[in-house]
Amino acid sequence: MKTKFIILSLLLFAILAFRVANDVQFEVPSNFPKPVYEFSKNPLSENKIQLGRALFYDPILSRNNMISCASCHSQFSAFTHVDHALSHGIEDKIGFRNSTALMNLAWQKLFMRDGAINHLDVQALAPISDPVEMDENISHVVSKLQASYLYPKLFYKAFGDSVITGEHTLKAISQFMLTLVSSNSKYDSVMRKQSVFTPQENNGYALFQKNCSSCHSEPLFTNDDFRNNGLSVDTTLNDFGRYRVTKNPSDSLKFKVPTLRNIEFSYPYMHDGRFKKLSQVLNHYTDGIEKITTISTELQKPIVLSSNEKLDLIAFLLTLTDKSFLFNPNYFYPKEIFSQTAKD
Amino acid sequence: MIKASLLLSFMVLANATDAQQISTIQISFTYGSKVLSMDDSLNQSNDSSVLRITQLKFYISKIKFLNHGKVVMEENNSFHLVDASQINSLQILIDNKQNIPFDELKFNLGLDSTTNVSGALGGDLDPTKGMYWTWQSGYINFKLEGKSNVCKTRNNEFAFHLGGYQQPYYGLQTLSFPLNNTNRIHLNLDVLEIIKEINLTKTNHIMSPSAEAVMLSKIVANAFTLSKN
Repeated sequence: MKTKFIILSLLLFAILAFRVANDVQFEVPSNFPKPVYEFSKNPLSENKIQLGRALFYDPILSRNNMISCASCHSQFSAFTHVDHALSHGIEDKIGFRNSTALMNLAWQKLFMRDGAINHLDVQALAPISDPVEMDENISHVVSKLQASYLYPKLFYKAFGDSVITGEHTLKAISQFMLTLVSSNSKYDSVMRKQSVFTPQENNGYALFQKNCSSCHSEPLFTNDDFRNNGLSVDTTLNDFGRYRVTKNPSDSLKFKVPTLRNIEFSYPYMHDGRFKKLSQVLNHYTDGIEKITTISTELQKPIVLSSNEKLDLIAFLLTLTDKSFLFNPNYFYPKEIFSQTAKD
Repeated sequence: MIKASLLLSFMVLANATDAQQISTIQISFTYGSKVLSMDDSLNQSNDSSVLRITQLKFYISKIKFLNHGKVVMEENNSFHLVDASQINSLQILIDNKQNIPFDELKFNLGLDSTTNVSGALGGDLDPTKGMYWTWQSGYINFKLEGKSNVCKTRNNEFAFHLGGYQQPYYGLQTLSFPLNNTNRIHLNLDVLEIIKEINLTKTNHIMSPSAEAVMLSKIVANAFTLSKN
């Protein structure tokens, strides 16, 4: 009886140990708030994250098997599409908006520039189905994955089921995206008292706190809300932002406040990518605001900055660059996963 | 041995009673006085126009049974995608092991807002089922597509995708039917009752949450009746 008990508990321990080895605890950076994402409904595991990483880089998600998530979200530019004002999709078709940088998604409630997507798990459906992005549909993606050599094995490893579903596909993509956490910029090390700002950065930080931080709130550098930041309407796009979703006139021309983390590398800026340089962005806030009815209350009083102050502010913004994020090998193209096909 | 046979007979007995304690909700479709047959030409009531229905799918959720106004039984994980062209989806079986008496059936036509903000879900709620919007989050509660010679659209097509999980365009409808304590419940949807409320020459395309979508969702809810047989 006793031996039976010992064997049983050893067995249980082995199973638990295996589970723990594969389970991944989401680490909340010490200076960050509690995440919004409910991890209990999609518990992270190494195999699911790696499956999601493969899906993120695999053009099989598009109609012609040419465009992947990474096509418009490349790591070196903080997972946006550098140099493209508007996203650039299947067959060189040009999209409607500037693709967003992807990071710290576990802290976001609504997705896309207009908040049309209400949960990270269903976010990928939008680019997959958009006729100028991937032009596919999730049910056909699932049948392509099921027919592939690689994916039934990866889904089995991840979910214990080689029958692929839309739910599992989307949850795996979420898992990889959730790991895209940027929290190791110079700003963060200063906040953790591990380094100090230069006098110029320090002055820039004070200017930032006075003029910018009510919307670009620390430590995520966004309040995760929607604002009209006084951009004139581009009549070739006539994009009214959040109004498109809520049909509420008070939401006209409001767009999601983007994070400023890694902003040095995520140009061009604004929902339509109209500004290429940070100096243009600052000039907009000091001299270019159009006071349309829905203008953000924070921008009703003019922001005044001298040209030296603008330089100081930019020096501070550059402290938000996180090289350990931009070059993290965990986010690279997963050639070891894709080369499995050749190996076995 | 006696024990074993006792157990066996008990199991048989339990099985036998179980069989009687399954309530069946059978769903059928008519077009006025006729049985609706998908893809066939149908005459509209009072004129010479002809139409055909090519797709008819909707969600029935949160099925509840009441007795004297009080909920006595609720189905767990109660989400059913009903597809007029999938015969298996037209019968919903509800286990009533304890043989609880009830006199009313209540269910939602469509999905509540919590379900709509819960991310990627599985089973009948899997986004591969073609009932999830992609450009904007949210489920389609009710999908009716077809063709009519009065629609001046490409291929004379019309499409009504009704959904919306947020006010003021919350499309969910709650339906309730008094029952005699019966284990065979037969619901019928008369599609003509919907079509005759829509001016197809003018309205032939609803694809997003709106006041029109909510109005049409109410019309759809009213087109369900409890059949006598």
